[in-house]
Amino acid sequence: MSELSRKGREQPAPFSTYLESVADGVSQLIRLLSEHYDYVSVLSTDSAGFRAVISQKQKSLSSETMTTERGHVVRVCSSGLYAEVAFNDFDPSGVQTLAAWIKEQLDRQLSVLKACQIRPYVTELLEDAPLQLVSEMPTGQLPETADLSQLIDKMVSLTDLAMEKGKDMLDCQVQAQSTHISKMFQTEHRDLRQSYVYSEGNLTVVVSRDGNTQMAYKGLADRKGPEIFEGFPDLLDETLSISQDLLRAEKVVPGEYDIITTPEVSGLIAHEAFGHGVEMDMFVKGRALGAEYIDKRVGSDLVSMHEGANTVVNVASYAFDDEGTLASDVLEIDRGILRNGICDALSAKRLGVAPTGNGKRENYAHKVYTRMTNTIFDSGDSTLEEMIASISHGYLLSGMHSGMEDPKHWGIQCIIERGYEIQDGRLTGKVISPVIMTGYVPDLLQSISMVSRDREVFGTGGCGKGHKEWVKVSDGGPCLKARAKLG
Amino acid sequence: MIDKIRQVLAASGADAWEIRDHQETGWEFYLIGHRLDQHRVKKIHDVNLTVYRRTDDGKMLGNASGSIHVTSTDEEIKKVVETLMERALLARNPLYTLNQPDGEKAVAETGDDELSCEENAKAFLLAIRDVPETKTEDLNSVEIFTSMCNDRYMNSEGVDVSSRYPSSMVEAVVNARQTDGAGEKEIELYRMYHSGTCDQEGIKKQLQQVMEYGRDKLRAVQTPALGAFPVIFSTDAALEIYHFFLDRLSAGYIYRRYSDWTPGKMVMENEKGEKLTMKAVPMLPNSSRNTRYDREGAPIREMVLIENNTVRNNWGSRQQSQYIGLDQSFIVSNVEVAKGSQSSGTIRSGDYLEIVEFSDFQVDSITGDIAGEIRLGYLHRDGKTVPVSGGSVSGNLAELSRTMQFSRERTQYNNFLIPSLTRLEGVSITQG
Repeated sequence: MSELSRKGREQPAPFSTYLESVADGVSQLIRLLSEHYDYVSVLSTDSAGFRAVISQKQKSLSSETMTTERGHVVRVCSSGLYAEVAFNDFDPSGVQTLAAWIKEQLDRQLSVLKACQIRPYVTELLEDAPLQLVSEMPTGQLPETADLSQLIDKMVSLTDLAMEKGKDMLDCQVQAQSTHISKMFQTEHRDLRQSYVYSEGNLTVVVSRDGNTQMAYKGLADRKGPEIFEGFPDLLDETLSISQDLLRAEKVVPGEYDIITTPEVSGLIAHEAFGHGVEMDMFVKGRALGAEYIDKRVGSDLVSMHEGANTVVNVASYAFDDEGTLASDVLEIDRGILRNGICDALSAKRLGVAPTGNGKRENYAHKVYTRMTNTIFDSGDSTLEEMIASISHGYLLSGMHSGMEDPKHWGIQCIIERGYEIQDGRLTGKVISPVIMTGYVPDLLQSISMVSRDREVFGTGGCGKGHKEWVKVSDGGPCLKARAKLG
Repeated sequence: MIDKIRQVLAASGADAWEIRDHQETGWEFYLIGHRLDQHRVKKIHDVNLTVYRRTDDGKMLGNASGSIHVTSTDEEIKKVVETLMERALLARNPLYTLNQPDGEKAVAETGDDELSCEENAKAFLLAIRDVPETKTEDLNSVEIFTSMCNDRYMNSEGVDVSSRYPSSMVEAVVNARQTDGAGEKEIELYRMYHSGTCDQEGIKKQLQQVMEYGRDKLRAVQTPALGAFPVIFSTDAALEIYHFFLDRLSAGYIYRRYSDWTPGKMVMENEKGEKLTMKAVPMLPNSSRNTRYDREGAPIREMVLIENNTVRNNWGSRQQSQYIGLDQSFIVSNVEVAKGSQSSGTIRSGDYLEIVEFSDFQVDSITGDIAGEIRLGYLHRDGKTVPVSGGSVSGNLAELSRTMQFSRERTQYNNFLIPSLTRLEGVSITQG
């Protein structure tokens, strides 16, 4: 650990020198393409990082994470039709050739479209009001200069300790990854540059008893540098305890129950229910029921939810999105009433609304979609103890495996790691696992009858759109008391 | 660039190294209805390098990997190699060796990547244009991705092999609607198809089938509480079931002790008498995984994995395979499951729930737990068939496989050829 981070001081995450070096060439490319197109923008990325995976069985170290990349994507518009070209072999001295190649490629595609008689979805031109921004966000360490030797030694020691302390252990794996993001968005009138560091890690233990093998997991994540991995030891005891809970878990008797969701599960519900449910590119396609419910009730009075890169500071907090729209904080649900969706820039043009800074790409080679950033339920005024005491028979649900959205029909699927039985206002010690929670989103949100004071945010997960296009998100909230179908 | 990297590696002192070079030209079309939302071109070139260093006692091998950007200068390449060399001893594993040349002289395939993308994209666009829609069932949106990939793998042992292959994906959302006294009701169904190139007739046929499902979803009732009930999987959701078997055969699972399925072990004792046979194959028609070598340069060959419920061979990466004592193995790309003993008609007998659309059906390969929300199923009970929606399936495949039955008829889903119908008895069904 460096002197800098031991003292807890932070430094600005420096913007990429590579992007600085190509900025003028990119500007020249924009000027050349503007001779042929009504709108031209370029998003350029250069993100470095590391990923260390240490277990008793196998160890690896890579400079690649889910979000490391270096590349460029040109977006153009001609007669209301938008097109993009993504590449990663940019040569600032060959911009003229590149511009000609881009036009030739897109013209070739247009010929195919014409031959197939495909008509365009005409969209207004995106705004290009002058805007300059340089945002180098504070971080402790940088992934490029972190002391990986010391970090890996600590990770190895932690897996050793886990094997020593744990029962029924097959393996313990610790994973740490940290990424220094740099992005530059340029148009004729805009030049936005940002750099920040986010890190995430997890500790996983695998246990087996009498042929019953289970995996328990705890993670940590923040928009901070590798210094967050100092928190790994704090995860150990709870993860070992969860692994034993899973080994003795029973299957749930399918049915409808009173439930309390811990913040991680509340976050999963937020994400799947009215995170995906109000991604407004789905409004354009008529794929989201939410479009018909703006200013209508979708949950109980206790339900309020925010979404945005500015909602909290976590792994999905940035200054501007991948279309050059500044970050915001959107109030999606206000005391049970659906107020706003989130929107990328092109969908906003099509819907006649303002974009919210939620246009994101998996990386430079992928298309922009409306995507979530940080999706969080607001806090309430109950305590977890009061919530448990109020239930005659139900479950306290904890840990998440996965979820699946269904914006068109407002179905929801949440696969939850475990549930702790509550009987007559007390935890009985009985555990169920896994737990499949399904239902109709408004029914679930309308049934929320208590909300706890404290809330937590989790940024260890990734989010797909349907079954692809993975991006970093965070979600969370307080504990919620509701009623749901469990299987 | 590759030559420069090799020069720097030769002078680096690395005990071993691997270079992976991936070049991809892609054409993409995004349709809302039948109108073009956007069109995209991508041309990417990624180079990944792994360097290995032995510890002084020669018992351990460290490794570190990273990207070398295609725009890197000579100095930047040197810097990357230096960094990886510094890091290589931080993550140490028991000694293993990289793949050796297989003796065959690899011939690099060449072609016009852009022309291939153009022809393939055109075929997809025409297929989508010609999908037979009706006033009440149509395409909501379609995303078409076509790529031509050129991969090259080299290592310090002298392996230098390449593969050129097409890879395509189509995401389609189908709407169905009806109007009654309560107004218009519209539903959607989601499909994602992977393949090498465009199978025009196949795409049209499959989307037509999805439209029929759409009609049925409109009249679906809530799934009743069925308790433990027979379930038939007749779509690509069944792949999860066969992935469970494949994963548990992997050297990684064996080495980590997540599985004990080594040669000679029974994978299931089937009360119904059904025998599972599964093999790795180098090629399947129009699979997007048709490469002659795996990502570590090992030649991909035909290999029986399970024969009549008994494990014949494990498979896996070079490192993990050596750790469990496999001399020659590879990372499986295409899988063929043998025909079952019964016809589809026999599989579809008695009471059962045939599920054709899940939110996201999953099988946990470590625990065997299955889970998925039902978006559309057909409940066959007491001689009647009712479309149902909602609720979920759960259970444990390790137990459920005792009653597994699969059909003689088979269906190919990209890199898996599996029985068209897979039936499990006693799946727990939660009410919708």
